[in-house]
Amino acid sequence: MDNLDAARLQMAFTLMFHIVFACIGMVMPFFMVVSHYKWLKTRDPVYLTLTKAWQKGVAIFFVTGAVSGTALSFELGLLWPEFMKHAGPIIGMPFSLEGAAFFVEALAIGFYLYGWNKINERFHWITGVIIGVSGVASGILVVSANGWMNAPSGFDYVDGKFLNVDPVAAFLNDAWFSQALHMTLAAFASTGFAVAGIHAWQVYKKRNPELHAKAFRIAITFGGIAALLQPISGDISAKDVAKRQPVKLAAMEAHFETQKGAPLFIGGIVDEEKKTVTHKIEIPKALSFLAFGDFDAEVKGLNDFPKDELPPIAIPHYAFQVMVGMGMVMALSAIVYFISIRKKKWREKRSFWLLFALLAPTGYIALEAGWIVTEVGRQPWIIHKIMRTKDAVTPMPGMIYSFYFYLMLYTILTLTVIWLMRRQIKALNEKLD
Amino acid sequence: MLYVVLVFLVVSFFLYVLLGGADFGAGIVELFSSKDNQKPIKKTVYEVMGPVWEANHIWIIIMIVILWIGFPMTYNIVVVYLHIPLTLVLLGITLRGAAFIFRHYDAVKGQSSQKLYDNLFRISCLITPIFLGMTFGALVTGDIMLLEDHPGIGFYDAYVHPWLQLFPILIGCFYATLCTFLAAVFLIGEVSDAQREMYIRKGKVAVIAVVVTGFLVLITGFAQGRDFVLDFVRDPFAVCSVVSSAILLYPLWRAIRFGRVERCRFFAGLQVALILFAAAITHFPKVIATTTGKLDFMQNTAPDSVMTVLGWSLIVGGLLIIPGFLHLLKSFHMIKILEKE
Repeated sequence: MDNLDAARLQMAFTLMFHIVFACIGMVMPFFMVVSHYKWLKTRDPVYLTLTKAWQKGVAIFFVTGAVSGTALSFELGLLWPEFMKHAGPIIGMPFSLEGAAFFVEALAIGFYLYGWNKINERFHWITGVIIGVSGVASGILVVSANGWMNAPSGFDYVDGKFLNVDPVAAFLNDAWFSQALHMTLAAFASTGFAVAGIHAWQVYKKRNPELHAKAFRIAITFGGIAALLQPISGDISAKDVAKRQPVKLAAMEAHFETQKGAPLFIGGIVDEEKKTVTHKIEIPKALSFLAFGDFDAEVKGLNDFPKDELPPIAIPHYAFQVMVGMGMVMALSAIVYFISIRKKKWREKRSFWLLFALLAPTGYIALEAGWIVTEVGRQPWIIHKIMRTKDAVTPMPGMIYSFYFYLMLYTILTLTVIWLMRRQIKALNEKLD
Repeated sequence: MLYVVLVFLVVSFFLYVLLGGADFGAGIVELFSSKDNQKPIKKTVYEVMGPVWEANHIWIIIMIVILWIGFPMTYNIVVVYLHIPLTLVLLGITLRGAAFIFRHYDAVKGQSSQKLYDNLFRISCLITPIFLGMTFGALVTGDIMLLEDHPGIGFYDAYVHPWLQLFPILIGCFYATLCTFLAAVFLIGEVSDAQREMYIRKGKVAVIAVVVTGFLVLITGFAQGRDFVLDFVRDPFAVCSVVSSAILLYPLWRAIRFGRVERCRFFAGLQVALILFAAAITHFPKVIATTTGKLDFMQNTAPDSVMTVLGWSLIVGGLLIIPGFLHLLKSFHMIKILEKE
């Protein structure tokens, strides 16, 4: 494996971890403050127990999110020094604002975790809300930097130099809105389903069903609403990509031939050499409609782009199918949940709880798949049409060892966190028994 | 605006080195304590550092972000040539943070798991400041060979030699002793009288260690003819700072004896700040020394438009953060101190 591929793998790998940690750290505080609010309103001790249990989760995931985020702030430079030399100043604004938001979050978390019975009850609860709000704000801000890589703006590119830099224009790049909306909803949907799934499993196993059912309700309400809104945001994103990065859209859809009234492929096996897709389900004219809102619009195919500007095709195509598939499953199960609010009988069935327990990983699978689509789909560029990834990588050889090192470190950390969460749930159940 | 940004950079550098340093030092104090003392120290460290350590460590992120936005050339050299020590710093920060949270938030307080977390926490607290110091040391040692000046140099010369040698290692050890000193003095104010004596003893040992490692740095620098040390002793500002730092030991000692917690923290912080100031001022703004010359920090900056936006972002962010930060310190520290006095 050459240096570039090793560096890319390392970046992909650390980002995949960070995204999950960061999403949990962004969204769980909201569950926690809802439960906390119910405790303050009803003084039902179950809500206090739940709040404190979730608080431990928030603490653990905040730290893992924070350290993996610190790692990324190092890695951006360590792996892509040429990119950062030029892009760093241009996309500095979202990063510096994100730093501020993150700082506010760390302060709020200090107040919240250590503030029980020490500070004013209402102020204490508000610091919990601040954790969530600033967490989501940092997520939205940092996505702007990624948006800029897809839709570079705020500078003039003359003879390999970045002139007339306008950081505000770079910050407000065209891709930011659609990407940030999609990402924020994804964070809520995935974490909502994951947390709901864990508690559903406890109800299914009949361990303290009273507490776990309450926990489930809070988490799935957030997750369900986000999962129902996500298809709308996905449509906005697709139309945006069709306009800005047609080659990425073509790769996502494995669309080789330029045509009017282009069909949509579901599934299928991509053969990049022969430029064909076999074993697919074809929906006539659907791609043209989804991309441009017109059944007869022309969709440019991969064959009509310069060869050296093509991304890998199979990976984004498969990842896209996985993302959409998981999203559909989640939206349908969200409907099942919202119907069950009326039809209480559904919740007495064990299969109801088993269903949601099994759905726990779906959100994160969709989340990772979505990032694979957008990141691999942007290749070979690190800055779309400006700088190639291969020109940005560090000159230091031996990146493969660095990759193995990070692989080991993150695997150990993840296993530890999972193990700790299991102990957490076990201890909670034992305490309640 | 350049100067506004510079002020933020310097302030976050100092705050990270002082506050983050005290955090690392707490782990070092724990590491070098007897088994009987480790337990109460662990409890104190949790109570004192718990609410603030996350915030303390964000200063390094702020520093990095300011560097890459405002001073991309300097940043570029640091991340390319000091890739390995920075990765080790990162490893230390990661393990330290993870171990700290694990040991306090693991729902099952098992013997063996706690022992593992404790060891991980203490050892990473020791090695991280050493690697941080080595990184700084490598920048001033003058052995960084730029690829464009030396085409075709080997891996060792380019990426290992600048930091893995006696002089930067000594600087790393020196910084670790400073951290220990800070932590010991800081913790004095947080405990009852019986334990106080222990921290005072640790503080004394730390002072001796600081002096010894400091001398070793100077002697080695002289022997090897390092520009950094030669310029350092010739610079009146640097010498004055170090001398005043030494003189401050006396009021510090009195403050400790009279139980003036805030005052002794102030003196200890000021002492370390003076030493840092001396180290930073020696070559400023030519902070990075390479084999072919020194890179001027102030002349390789981002365009003005970037600096303006960065400066304003920092001001707005600062206005958000600083009151919260002070309030946090007040809520968990100062009140406790006021209660005691």
